[in-house]
Amino acid sequence: MFAFVAFSLRRAWHGFWRNGLMSIAATATMVLMLVLLSGLIILLTGLDATLNYVQQEVQVVAYMKDSATPQDISNLEVSLQEMAQVTQVNYVSKDQAMKDFLARHPDEADVIGSLSTNPLPASLQINLRDPNDYLDIATFLKSQPAVDRVLNIKNTVDQMVTVIGILRAGGTVTLVVVGLIVLFIIVNTIRLAVVARADEIEIMRLVGASDAFIRWPFIFEGAFVGLLGAAITIGLLFVGQGPLTGFLSDYFKVLPVEASATVGRNVALIVLGTGVGIGVLGSYLSVRSYLIR
Amino acid sequence: MAMVTAAPSGSKSSPHRRPGATDQAPDGLIPNRIVLAMQGVTKSYPNGREALHGVDLTIPEGDFVFLVGPSGAGKSTVIKLLIRDELPTKGVVLLDGRDLGRLKRRDVPKIRRKIGIVFQDFKLLPNKTVRDNVGFALEVTGARKRDIEPAVDRVLRVVGLTGQAEQLPGQLSGGEQQRTAIARALVHNPRLFIADEPTGNLDPVISWEIIQLLLRINELGVTVLMATHNAEVVTAVRKRVVALENGRIVRDEVGAAYHRED
Ligand SMILES: Nc1ncnc2c1ncn2[C@@H]1O[C@H](COP(=O)(O)OP(=O)(O)OP(=O)(O)O)[C@@H](O)[C@H]1O
Ligand SMILES: [Mg+2]
Repeated sequence: MFAFVAFSLRRAWHGFWRNGLMSIAATATMVLMLVLLSGLIILLTGLDATLNYVQQEVQVVAYMKDSATPQDISNLEVSLQEMAQVTQVNYVSKDQAMKDFLARHPDEADVIGSLSTNPLPASLQINLRDPNDYLDIATFLKSQPAVDRVLNIKNTVDQMVTVIGILRAGGTVTLVVVGLIVLFIIVNTIRLAVVARADEIEIMRLVGASDAFIRWPFIFEGAFVGLLGAAITIGLLFVGQGPLTGFLSDYFKVLPVEASATVGRNVALIVLGTGVGIGVLGSYLSVRSYLIR
Repeated sequence: MAMVTAAPSGSKSSPHRRPGATDQAPDGLIPNRIVLAMQGVTKSYPNGREALHGVDLTIPEGDFVFLVGPSGAGKSTVIKLLIRDELPTKGVVLLDGRDLGRLKRRDVPKIRRKIGIVFQDFKLLPNKTVRDNVGFALEVTGARKRDIEPAVDRVLRVVGLTGQAEQLPGQLSGGEQQRTAIARALVHNPRLFIADEPTGNLDPVISWEIIQLLLRINELGVTVLMATHNAEVVTAVRKRVVALENGRIVRDEVGAAYHRED
């Protein structure tokens, strides 16, 4: 067993370097594919997280008219709470709204302090069981005399859902195409390696080597291309992680920071699995025809 | 893997007989086990060429058989059938009592390890030394490194190539290349040794040396089948001669010469 593994690994290693140029080309395309793959995963994860955040935080915001009495507002709050679609209702008073604003924008305290009245409206923040119920609630709220304006978070959510859908579909198609190209290149790389060893393989067959001894060195060679490609990709991601996270959190503002460690680990695992998987599959396909008939 | 260092000697009284695989010998001696049998074998290649037609051949353990006949008679085809590199179109090929035509794919390697074979074109790897070429046959069948070394040294001593162990095949004479191929065939301690002699004639002295080597191997109890064109050698050693012509066996005599003697 040990002899077998040592033999296979040794041959895989020699095979990789014997066809150095081709192996490097295969590794490079592998890296390209894996970078695309991980980019897509990271982007989609970020968007998903943002979407969840937006959906979870507050789904509907109804701003109250300044003329609305506390009685009006608490009546409205009660009737909202009685609705089946609503999970939670929070009342944010004008004072609270000001405090929140100051907490988020401390440098504007001067400006605010110079105002004689509080310009911020009181609001009801409503969480829905299902975001799709938005329209019912919005229609109801708009019909209430105490309500000034209903914030259309639904639109933002819908746009994000569409963008994520397009990215997911487009990304998957691109990945499948690139994946097939990579597979094709691996198959050809390994086939070259197999052809270079055709004499050896013939002798191996004739002196009684089992299929495993003929097949596994090439499978290891393919796995090695996948492993190297994955390692380079993970290295690139590691180096690029700082700027990338910066860009993402700048762009999407709300990317949850605590998710990035697990995301990183998952991406690394997916990259590794995909790289090695494609390498092994490609080699398996290449040597099949060279085994004992 | 078992490394037998002393093969059974004295073929006629070989104790390694198995019941059920014997033939009643006509002269009343203890019958030897049949190592190899072809029954009604016809072989047509995919291109329609019929290389063998209705061949019957039985080789008992310990035999020494010359397979002779003109170029294209079908000698190499017989050998390819025996190692199941090709399958018969008709008839059966039995090796150690097993029908090669019905052998499962994964059992093929096991059968091949029982046979040591020297190919007509040697099939040595040009980028490996003599030692590595010989060791390769053990390495690819799963032998451990520490078992390979002594086994290789032993067969190199048997064929007299200890001094050339580190040379590449390109740096060897034809006879040395053939002896390397013989060493590789022997390194598994095969029970059956098959040599397909190259058609390009080797130096007669070297051919003679090689035959002496094969006779010695045969004396160790290994069954030997040798395809050859070398009339002088065949006639001189007076062993069993099976002659092929146009894919048919035209003569099968014990203690015979290369050509028919009337
Ligand atoms: N793979 C093949 N495909 C088609 N025909 C073949 C093949 N191998 C051998 N033959 C044909 O079968 C016949 C027997 O060939 P074989 O190699 O057995 O002859 P041989 O007796 O070994 O000859 P030589 O002494 O020249 O080696 C020849 O006519 C040859 O052309
Ligand atoms: Mg021949």
